Amino acid sequence: MRIFDAHRVLGPVPGDHVPSSDIAGLLAELDHLGVDGAAVTPSDELYGDPARARHRDAGHARLVTVPVILPAVPGAGWPDGPGAVVDAAPALVRACPVRHRFALTGPVALGWWRELAAAGIPLATDAGEVGLDRVRALVTAVPELRVLVLSPGYRCLRELAELLTVHPGVYVETGTLAAAGGVEWLARQAGAHRLVFGTGAPVWDDAGPRFQLDHLRLPDADVELIAAGSFAALRAGETP
Amino acid sequence: MTPVIDAHGHLGAWADFFVPEPDADWLVDVNTEIGIDAVGVSHLVAVGRDPATGNELALAEAGRHPGRLGVWLVADPHDPDATARLRDQLDRPGVWGLKLHPDTHECAATDPRYEPLLELAAAAGVPALVHGQTRSPFADPGVLAELARRHPAVPVFAGHAGLSPDGFHRAARLAAEQPGLYLEICGSRLTTRWLERMVAIAGADRVLFGTDACFLDPRLGLGKVRLARLSDTDRALVLGGNAARLLGRRLTLASQETP
Repeated sequence: MRIFDAHRVLGPVPGDHVPSSDIAGLLAELDHLGVDGAAVTPSDELYGDPARARHRDAGHARLVTVPVILPAVPGAGWPDGPGAVVDAAPALVRACPVRHRFALTGPVALGWWRELAAAGIPLATDAGEVGLDRVRALVTAVPELRVLVLSPGYRCLRELAELLTVHPGVYVETGTLAAAGGVEWLARQAGAHRLVFGTGAPVWDDAGPRFQLDHLRLPDADVELIAAGSFAALRAGETP
Repeated sequence: MTPVIDAHGHLGAWADFFVPEPDADWLVDVNTEIGIDAVGVSHLVAVGRDPATGNELALAEAGRHPGRLGVWLVADPHDPDATARLRDQLDRPGVWGLKLHPDTHECAATDPRYEPLLELAAAAGVPALVHGQTRSPFADPGVLAELARRHPAVPVFAGHAGLSPDGFHRAARLAAEQPGLYLEICGSRLTTRWLERMVAIAGADRVLFGTDACFLDPRLGLGKVRLARLSDTDRALVLGGNAARLLGRRLTLASQETP
């Protein structure tokens, strides 16, 4: 079974000393856990100003770089406009409206999201940062945009189930769905094809979710979707 | 072979969020599948609002799953009848010790109202599993270290080992310095990296495996210990060797019964 971690951070992180501060360390972590590949957010872009980042592309066949974009008025965001994102054609982009202080559903950002949606480029955003209400507002405003909800935690399963049911373009990362039986419950509610294995490591734990993947009480086909298939479909632009 | 003992579990639902699998049958089934021999539980009815009722619920479930569920009796510092009731319940089959939740009870672990309950634990020779939380006025790891200092006859399991990443290092140092204080590691913020550091700082004989099931999924907690970079000896101590030593005759395991 192919296993792909859809949410890792590459590079130094504040408040800790982590093996994944460089590519070799990150790959060693993946090998230790038996994970084939990962989508990585450069920490330089996440914790710094994306416009000033020095380390952007992971540049390794096992890694998919997820650039952090910052929709804003000209001169204050990154890149200069949504056209540059569309031209670069990343598999996935990430946005941090609270961390980077921009309006997720303001008029500028909405223009970006519409262009990205038209180009089939999905957006990842951290539920702990943004809040599910803002995610709901975004996908209500731009229903054709596909959104991967990162790090939702274990306390908002009711809200997640509702979000997935109403908005077919929303996917959810599983690593922090830590309530007992939470992954299986959400799979039964919305389908395993909406759940994406991802951990948020090294900020969040990766070993527990990896172990859990081997012991999910779901049909093999569902586990394979969660392990890698759902992300592949998200990336390919397949309609859920 | 060293058993795998989950030192920190629960049963039941909780007001703050939805728990998909709150029942003992699911927990025991999953534990069987993944190789957890036994889990000590407090019932969330007892933790959240009604210790007298909740403790009886936990005892009943332990009776349905002998050798698979142990019971942490929730000790309520506000209940004048708690000591007498717990004295009787401590003799019931499957009881592992007392559970203190100073944050829920809004009463510091070192408050005099807990004294008779801890004296009861000392007399019975049982540990106290105490919810711990960095910076909590009721249950900061420093408060739990003081509790262990005052009660050398009661092994104090510092639940969650500090709980948050910015508290893990200090909790480990406190456990290294204070005899009788043990780090119970359950929690969503723990990583294998921090587990390995705790073992290095406090010693493998001071770290206890726990999952916080059914708040949290036991597969996540076990995975952290199984996949941590620990020696086989240290891993066995964390997973169950320490708990077996500290629980002593209180621990009976269905998996080790003679057919």
